[in-house]
Amino acid sequence: MTPIPVILDCDPGVDDAIAFLLAKQLPQLNVLAITSVAGNVGLEYTTYNALGLLEFLDWDIPVYRGASGPIFRKRVEAAEVHGSNGMAGFDLPHTRREVEGINAWDAIHKYAVEQQGSLEIIAVGPLTNLAMAFLKYPDLPHLIKRIVIMGGAASEGNATPAAEFNIYADPEAADIVFCAGVPVHMCGLDMTMKALMTPTELDQIAALGSKQAIFFRDVVQDIVVFMSKLGITGINMHDPAAVLYAADDSIFKAYPAGIRVETKGSITQGKTVTDLFSDAKWPKNGFVAMDIDREAFVKRVFELMSKY
Amino acid sequence: MTSKIPIILDGDPGHDDAIAWMLAKASDKLEILACTSVSGNQSIEKTSLNARRVMTLLGIDAPFAMGREEPLHGEPIHAANVHGETGLDGPALPEPALEPEPVTAVELMAKTISASSEPVTIVATGPLTNVGALLILYPELKPKIAHISIMGGGLAFGNWTPAAEFNILIDPEAADVVYKSGVPLTMAGLDVTLKALVFPEDFERIRALGNRVAVVVAEWLDFFYNFHRSLGYTGAPVHDAVAVAALIKPEILTARDYYVQIETSGDFCRGATVADHYGFTNQPPNTHALVDIDREAFVDLLAEAAAWYGKESE
Repeated sequence: MTPIPVILDCDPGVDDAIAFLLAKQLPQLNVLAITSVAGNVGLEYTTYNALGLLEFLDWDIPVYRGASGPIFRKRVEAAEVHGSNGMAGFDLPHTRREVEGINAWDAIHKYAVEQQGSLEIIAVGPLTNLAMAFLKYPDLPHLIKRIVIMGGAASEGNATPAAEFNIYADPEAADIVFCAGVPVHMCGLDMTMKALMTPTELDQIAALGSKQAIFFRDVVQDIVVFMSKLGITGINMHDPAAVLYAADDSIFKAYPAGIRVETKGSITQGKTVTDLFSDAKWPKNGFVAMDIDREAFVKRVFELMSKY
Repeated sequence: MTSKIPIILDGDPGHDDAIAWMLAKASDKLEILACTSVSGNQSIEKTSLNARRVMTLLGIDAPFAMGREEPLHGEPIHAANVHGETGLDGPALPEPALEPEPVTAVELMAKTISASSEPVTIVATGPLTNVGALLILYPELKPKIAHISIMGGGLAFGNWTPAAEFNILIDPEAADVVYKSGVPLTMAGLDVTLKALVFPEDFERIRALGNRVAVVVAEWLDFFYNFHRSLGYTGAPVHDAVAVAALIKPEILTARDYYVQIETSGDFCRGATVADHYGFTNQPPNTHALVDIDREAFVDLLAEAAAWYGKESE
């Protein structure tokens, strides 16, 4: 089977870093490029971290710099979760790698044209780059096969009571993407809050012994502490779950849905509204992942990390 | 001193309101001090006529007053597709044996609460227009409101729109007043009421009781289910009766306490009830939110209540 050509659009970010570790080893994916976006921390950090992660993994794929903030509003970030540099204070190796000469949305279009309709996007940060690409290139919806995002939630939020961080960070961009005409597979909190890895499992990963496996455990430690204050033991593998979903969705349960983003409410801005459970129905523009086989997920993570 | 909980029934009957009132009247734990109507499932004229007919059928001997047609802000919406043209289509009902009091629903609520020696519980099974107005106009009565048991909202989703449940959507401003009031709230939202399903075999059990009220209840369920079946439901979700069951038999319900806010604006989220799962707001819980129900025990409760009317008429 030919691997799926994908672009990984991201804001590294601790769990983005884990997503890199897994994406490199997934035989189902052919990661053509990384596009960076402001999100968990500012664009200068997310871009630098993307380059540093590729250096750390000895992975030769290009990085394209994306949007430094949301399209219509002021930037919010999640430095309290990811640390001021986005890597929880972890020092990635210095690199002479540089970003490419064109920006993220032009790159997305370029690869989409080259792949003649088979390109998929895995977007695990705010959806600004993709929205910019759709705004600039009217032919793009016909050239992208599928978009898998980490973002949103059918029920609760983690940035506010109603909204998940990636969508909250740029709600208008997210709604542009949901309405673009490409099926969007939403790996939101409904599923990713169940994609939990326990401290014991993190230690078992580290015991695999490679520098990548030890990094896996160490880079998430601050978040494990942060999560324990919320009463959660372990770390939710938000972004990695989306990457594994893109590679093989057989251990997930996802349902077709109409999905829109609230951009105007007084307490619900950034909420992904789905028609999954309501009597009122909308045209179906995507899928909402609601469940994951956690044990199978952890097993896959082990298998992938064993390859280092 | 009575050990009964003094209550005001405020609703927009409505099949599930009517079944809720049936449950309330039959309970020896509740004492109905007054009934009030609200615009919602149908126009205020229709819900008021239905309320008086239902009171007559059930033998509720309490004062009744009419609410207003419009929500506190905005235009009314009705649910004729769910409840029929009369708002309570199905079995023939007796002509009302009582007249409305010459006061508004809000005035009757205020008068009833003022006159009660004990704090009063309000069972609100329609839009929160009357209750919201009561809290705005008579804030001094708050200490005399023991509790408001609401059918409305959904922590996770809506029904009339993807984000909003009907009762809250119709009057979000009133709901906002109620949820911010500080009065203890129990919320029977869609999270629990969509689990409070009454199946066709349960209808037959109630019908077989044979008394007049039981037969009417079974026919209301027939009508209510016919609509819901077309949406793919396997039973009739008797939403409003859960708000009464919460007072009579809380042990059959599972609840969680949350700080819940009402979204009053937005493209898609007007009328959404937003629960603070992780303490973002730093506010103490204002809502005892029901999330699960022992369905069979709920059906038993309805059937026992319907059977009570047979003993009454002997």
